[in-house]
Amino acid sequence: MNVNLIEELLSFIISGAIQGSIYSLLALGFSLVYGVGGILNQAHGAFYVIATYLMYVFIKDVAGLGFILGIIFGLGITTIIGGLMYLLLIKPLKESHVGVVIVTFAFAFFIEQIVGILVDKIYHKIPDYFLYFGVDPEYFTVLGVDIQYQSLIIIIVAIVLVVLTTIFIKKSKLGKSIRAVAQDSEAAELMGINVDKILAYTLMISAFLAGVAAIINGPLGTVAPHIGWPILINSFAIVVLGGLGSLPGSVIGAFILAFASKFTDSFIDPIFGALIPIVVIVVMLVIRPRGLFGKKEIK
Amino acid sequence: MLQNQNKRNYLVDFKLYFKSWITTFRGKVTLVCLIGLFIIPFITTNTYILGIFYTFMIYTIFAASWDFLAGYVGQVSFGHAIFLGVAAYVTAYTTRFIPLAFWDFSTSQWVIIGPMPWWITLLLGAFIAVLFGLIVGIPSLRLKGPYLALGTLAMSLILYEIFKMSSLGTLWSNLFPGTVLFGTNGIGQVPPISQDPIIQYIIIFLIMCTAMAFLTHLVKSNTGTIFKAIRDDETGTKASGINTTKYKIIAFMISGFIAGIAGSLWSLRISGVNPGIFQPIYSFYGIIMAAIGGIATISGSALGAFIFVFLGEFLRLLGDNPNITGAIGGFVEPIFVFSIILILIIRFAEHGILQPALERLQNVWDLVLGR
Repeated sequence: MNVNLIEELLSFIISGAIQGSIYSLLALGFSLVYGVGGILNQAHGAFYVIATYLMYVFIKDVAGLGFILGIIFGLGITTIIGGLMYLLLIKPLKESHVGVVIVTFAFAFFIEQIVGILVDKIYHKIPDYFLYFGVDPEYFTVLGVDIQYQSLIIIIVAIVLVVLTTIFIKKSKLGKSIRAVAQDSEAAELMGINVDKILAYTLMISAFLAGVAAIINGPLGTVAPHIGWPILINSFAIVVLGGLGSLPGSVIGAFILAFASKFTDSFIDPIFGALIPIVVIVVMLVIRPRGLFGKKEIK
Repeated sequence: MLQNQNKRNYLVDFKLYFKSWITTFRGKVTLVCLIGLFIIPFITTNTYILGIFYTFMIYTIFAASWDFLAGYVGQVSFGHAIFLGVAAYVTAYTTRFIPLAFWDFSTSQWVIIGPMPWWITLLLGAFIAVLFGLIVGIPSLRLKGPYLALGTLAMSLILYEIFKMSSLGTLWSNLFPGTVLFGTNGIGQVPPISQDPIIQYIIIFLIMCTAMAFLTHLVKSNTGTIFKAIRDDETGTKASGINTTKYKIIAFMISGFIAGIAGSLWSLRISGVNPGIFQPIYSFYGIIMAAIGGIATISGSALGAFIFVFLGEFLRLLGDNPNITGAIGGFVEPIFVFSIILILIIRFAEHGILQPALERLQNVWDLVLGR
C-alpha cells in the first residue's frame, strides 16, 4: 500500500512536470504576443499543429535523416509562418481589434483544414525518438516507476528555453526593444524603433516556442488536425491565471494548471480534469482579473 | 391616458417608418427577397430543396445574433456554439422525454395532456442556453479585453468534451448510472415542428422575420445607441454615467437568446442533436456568414447565410463527383474554402459585400429604368 502510494505520487509529479514544461513554452509565447502587441493570437494552437505535422511527415517518409530534417523544417517553417502571419494578416488590420481576432481564428481553421487535406484526418502517433534511434528500452526505472528518456528531454529543453528567453528579453538589444514596445509602442516608435519589425519578431519567437513544444512533446501526444484547440484554451487559461502579459506568471501558471489537471485526473475524476481550464478562467476573472502576477491596469 | 397616447404615436411612427422604408431601394429589395422566400414551398415541396432553405433560414438567425453582439456592441464571442448546442439539447430532450402535464390538486397527481408543444421547448431551450452563456459571460463582460472571446471558446470546447463522455466518471456513476448526457450519439428521433413541410417552412420563416426585425429595430432604438456607444468608446460611455457592464450583459443575453432559438430550431429540423454541435466549427460558421454580409449590418447575415449555404452545397456536390475530385483533390472541402474566403473578406473587404452589392444592383436598376 505504502509503496503503491509512493509510485503513484512519483508518476503524478513526473507527468505534472512534463505537462507543465510543455504548457510553459506554449503560454510564454502566447503571453509575450499579447503583452507586446496586444494581439490575441487565436492561431497559437495552429503553430503547434504545423510543427507536429512536419515532424510526423518527415519521420514517416524520410528514412535516416528524417529526425534532423523534421526538427529543422518543423521549427523553421513554423517560425516563418509566424512572421508571415504578422506581416500579411495582422499588420494591415491592426487598427480594428475585431479584425485581428477573426483573421487569426480563420487562419487556425485554415491550418486545421490544410493539414487534414495534405496528410489525412485520422489519429497518428509519432514514434518515440529513442526507439527510433535504436535505444531500447526507451525508459529507466526509479522506485518502480518507468520514466521515459523523452520526459527528461522535455523538462531539460523547457527549462533551458525558458531561461534563454528570459535572458534574451532582459539583456539583448532586440529584447530591450521588445520591452520598450510592450511599455508604450508610440513612444518606442518615436525613439526610432521599428514597431512592426519588433512585433513580427515577437510572433516569430512565439511560433518558435510553440514549435519546440510540439516537437519535444511529439511522441507523447497525438497527431490530429484539431489538436490546436485544447492548446489554445490551455494557453489562455494559463495566462489568465498568471496575468496577461506577465512572463514569470505564465511559467508558474503553466505548472499550477498542469499539476491541478493531473491531480484531478489521477486522484479525483477525469471529468473534473476536463473542467479545470474553464474553472480556472471563471474563478480568476471573478476574484482576481489581473491574474497572480499581472500589473494592475490603470483605467 | 398618457400611455394610450404613447402607444398610438408609436403605431403612427411605425406606419410612417414603414412607408419611408418601403420607398427606399433597400426596403424594396428586402421585400422582394422576403416574398420570394415565402412562396418557395408553394412552388416545390422537394425535401432536398426545402431542406437547404431551412438550413439557410436557421443560419440567418444564428449569424444575425453573432453580428448584433460583435458588430453593434463590439463584444466578440468565439463560442456562440454554446447557445446553439445547449438550446438544441434542451429542446430535443424536452420534446422527446418530457410530456406536457399539470398538477391536479383534487387527485394529487400529474395529469399528462400530451407531448410538449414545440414553442415551449423552443423558448425553454433558448432560456437555458442564455443561463449557460452567463457562466462565462458575466465575469468576462465585467472586464475590458479579450476575455469574452476566449472564455466562450473555452466553454464551448469543454461542453463538447463533457457531452461526448459516455458516463460521468467513476465518482458520479453511482448516482447517475449509464450514459447521462447521451454520449456521442446524442438524442435522436425528435419529432419535427409539423408533419406538413409547408407549415414547418412558414413557421421557421416567420421566426426568422421576427428575429431579424427585432434586431434591426433594437439597434436603431435608444438602447441600440448605448450599445454603439459602448462599442466605439467604452470609457467615454462609462463617463457619461451609463453602466456599461449591465448593457453588455443585456446585449449578450439577447444575442444568446436568439442564437438559442436557432439552436432549438436546428434540433427540431434535423430531428436530433449530437455533441458535435459544440465544436468551434459552428461558431466559425456564424462568424463567416456575418462577415461575408458585413459586420454591423444585421440584414447582411441573410446574404452571408445564403452564399454560405448554397456555395457550401455546391462544393459538397463537387466534392462527391469522382471526375472532379481526382483533379482538385480535397481542396473543394467547404470549410477549407470558407476559411480562405473569411481571411480574404476580413483582410480586403472588412465591411462585407452587402453594401457594395446593393449599390451595384441599384446602378443596374437605374440603368434598366433609363434614369
